[in-house]
Amino acid sequence: MLNKIHRLSLSLSAPVAAALLSVTPSVALAQDAPSEETIEYFRQNCMSCHTIGGGPLTGPDLKGVTERADEAWLVDFILDPKAVIDSGDPYAAELLREARGVYMTQVPGLDRAKAEKLVRLIVAESAKERSLFAGLEISDRPLTEADVERGRALFMGTAVYENGAPACISCHTASGIGGLGGGRLGPDLTDAYARLEGRKALSAWLGAPPSLVMQPVFKNHALDGEEILAIVAYLKSVAESEANEGPTSILQFVLLGFGGSALLLLLFDFLWRGRYRATRRPLISDSKHARMGSSS
Amino acid sequence: MDVRSQISLVFHLDKCIGCHTCSVACKNVWTDREGTDYMWWNNVETKPGTGYPTKWEDQEAYKGGWKTDGKDLELRSTSKRKIVPNIFHNPSQPSLDDYYEPWTYDYSELFNAPEGDDQPVARPISMITGEPLEIEAGPNWDDDLGGSEVYAANDTNLDVLSEEQQQQMKAIERMVMFYLPRICNHCLNPACVASCPSGAMYKRGEDGIVLINQDRCRAWRSCISACPYKKTYYNWSTGKSEKCILCFPRLEAGEAPACFHSCVGRIRYLGNVLYDADLIKEAALCPDDELVEAQRRTILDPNDPTVVEAATRCGIPEAVIDSARKSPAYRFAKEWKLGLPLHVEYRTFPMLFYVPPLLPVMSISEGDLVRSDVDELFAEIEKARAPIGYLGKLFAGGNEGKVRYALRKQLAVRVWRRHVTVGDVGLEAATQALIEADCSPEEADEIYKLTALSTWEDRFVIPPFQREMAMEMITDPHEHRSAAGFGFRDAPRRS
Repeated sequence: MLNKIHRLSLSLSAPVAAALLSVTPSVALAQDAPSEETIEYFRQNCMSCHTIGGGPLTGPDLKGVTERADEAWLVDFILDPKAVIDSGDPYAAELLREARGVYMTQVPGLDRAKAEKLVRLIVAESAKERSLFAGLEISDRPLTEADVERGRALFMGTAVYENGAPACISCHTASGIGGLGGGRLGPDLTDAYARLEGRKALSAWLGAPPSLVMQPVFKNHALDGEEILAIVAYLKSVAESEANEGPTSILQFVLLGFGGSALLLLLFDFLWRGRYRATRRPLISDSKHARMGSSS
Repeated sequence: MDVRSQISLVFHLDKCIGCHTCSVACKNVWTDREGTDYMWWNNVETKPGTGYPTKWEDQEAYKGGWKTDGKDLELRSTSKRKIVPNIFHNPSQPSLDDYYEPWTYDYSELFNAPEGDDQPVARPISMITGEPLEIEAGPNWDDDLGGSEVYAANDTNLDVLSEEQQQQMKAIERMVMFYLPRICNHCLNPACVASCPSGAMYKRGEDGIVLINQDRCRAWRSCISACPYKKTYYNWSTGKSEKCILCFPRLEAGEAPACFHSCVGRIRYLGNVLYDADLIKEAALCPDDELVEAQRRTILDPNDPTVVEAATRCGIPEAVIDSARKSPAYRFAKEWKLGLPLHVEYRTFPMLFYVPPLLPVMSISEGDLVRSDVDELFAEIEKARAPIGYLGKLFAGGNEGKVRYALRKQLAVRVWRRHVTVGDVGLEAATQALIEADCSPEEADEIYKLTALSTWEDRFVIPPFQREMAMEMITDPHEHRSAAGFGFRDAPRRS
């Protein structure tokens, strides 16, 4: 394997080689086993769309990826997928087609050194019988009604995640969760099942949510397999029943807001009904009315 | 026995002519600054009337004073529980309209107006906005029953009277009114002090004067709601509340407060009394009609050796105890039982006592002659125009007996003096009147002297304030010893 890396690095174009030379110490390190840090980094940022030897999810299976494309190309692609795709690279275009038009996310804070480490990690893991990243072991059993129920409870926060992850509803809404809907920070999950092309990819996403907001939140509170399954079951049921109930509209939400504010004001008015209003003016107007009443 | 000394006041309503000199004196000394223009630390009201601020006696609206369930006392306006939901706005306060929008006149217009067909006029200008304003109300808008159909008719104290009695009071030939000058009562159990969340309000230890520390006041305005007499005011300019300070700088210099000093009718008396602070709570829990007596019980006899001993133990200087022995307030309120507290049912125990007004002296005119030798010269107090029930509501928590006692004694003194000076009332009748009024001839003479012939020294027995000793309560007078020579603020030093 080490030979392979050497061979590859020889074939690198001059500027990349120069960049590589400048990070020689890390290359030397990378010749040992990939660091814990890199493994963790891969787990958090890549695993939701990629496996190594576990079959394609949203993105392709990365087992033996270095045989399909050279390392420099991979590093460039990891650093800015959109740029490579948009440059008209034929292989990238094919990948995009395979991923049904989903662009790979550009991971913020990623630098060349880290990208190279990732590639090296993929190479190392590809050589293994069973990679660390062969994919989350999620049972293939058929989803039941009980799963949907549990998924709904987890989504709504009435049931609690084992590792203390926050309930989905705090940031997301989905069709059919009641009048006020869920949070508006994250996207509406009504069609998440369809968007991610089904069970496998959705499970992988949930196994290590890669998005900018979710990633740090779920980093230390990963969902376990059964929980993922339940959520998948629930989102599936939502997606399937979606036909008869559209996603909650902004207008509805605004109207509810106005109605709620009005109700609150009425409540305050009632609770403070004994509050002081005025003395002198009512006194004057009351006695004027009384006098006009008696004289007529 | 926790004996303390308190400056106590007496206003003799029978002598008040409603001239507002007191109010003007106070205004000129203390409340002619911006932000205080609407305040009248001293004001004179006409009763029946709604007073200033409008209907201040309506505690349903203003939530002033204390309420009790017989076991404990609670402020009507606030509590630890109520303060949180009302934290952004302290409710139950009179608005500026309930006081009045203070104004002045644009006098310069009188001199500077360009020549024209019309006489130049000085338009009223708001002292708050500086804009011309339509005057709708003033601090004594209902003076002398002005606008009585609105103001006098809405006097909350009239509620105790029957419809018939109310109609009688309105009848033109029986119409009655009297004046009620009001200042801060410097209560024994002040609701304002109890309500202050900043701890800015305090009752001075040595004389019981209630003050607001202007450095600590945080404009919560709790005192304004809590004071049932509405005698604390918010200064909108400084953002602090202010109130009557009983001219303590004058008192400390041995002078009477400005309103006392300027009183034309000499209705005001001032002196200290000794009271037992341990009795206040127990007294405040009494039912309404026993409150007058309960408050009197808290006032101690300065001639009683056990009281004197306890007072000395509590650190009251001998000179202050001696001053209490000569106090006119003690004599009116406790000894003669003539002085009655205003609205004692608010349970703050006001230390300003009012001698209730006696009916006017009646006479009959025959042609050019006004006869004053008729039997009805001093009519029965029961036939007085101001119904006893009304006075009872004002001055005795509804206990008419207390008012009747005070009025009867005043009447007896008049009868007695008629006997002594004119002689057309027989000794027997005069003595009989005194006996019925629970009064001895000596007492009658004393009352007469203090009411009619009193000098400045008789009316104002100002105790020695002994600031040098009072200071010791809060600071060590030796603190600056050998530390200050000249230049207390900026000590001279080599540069």
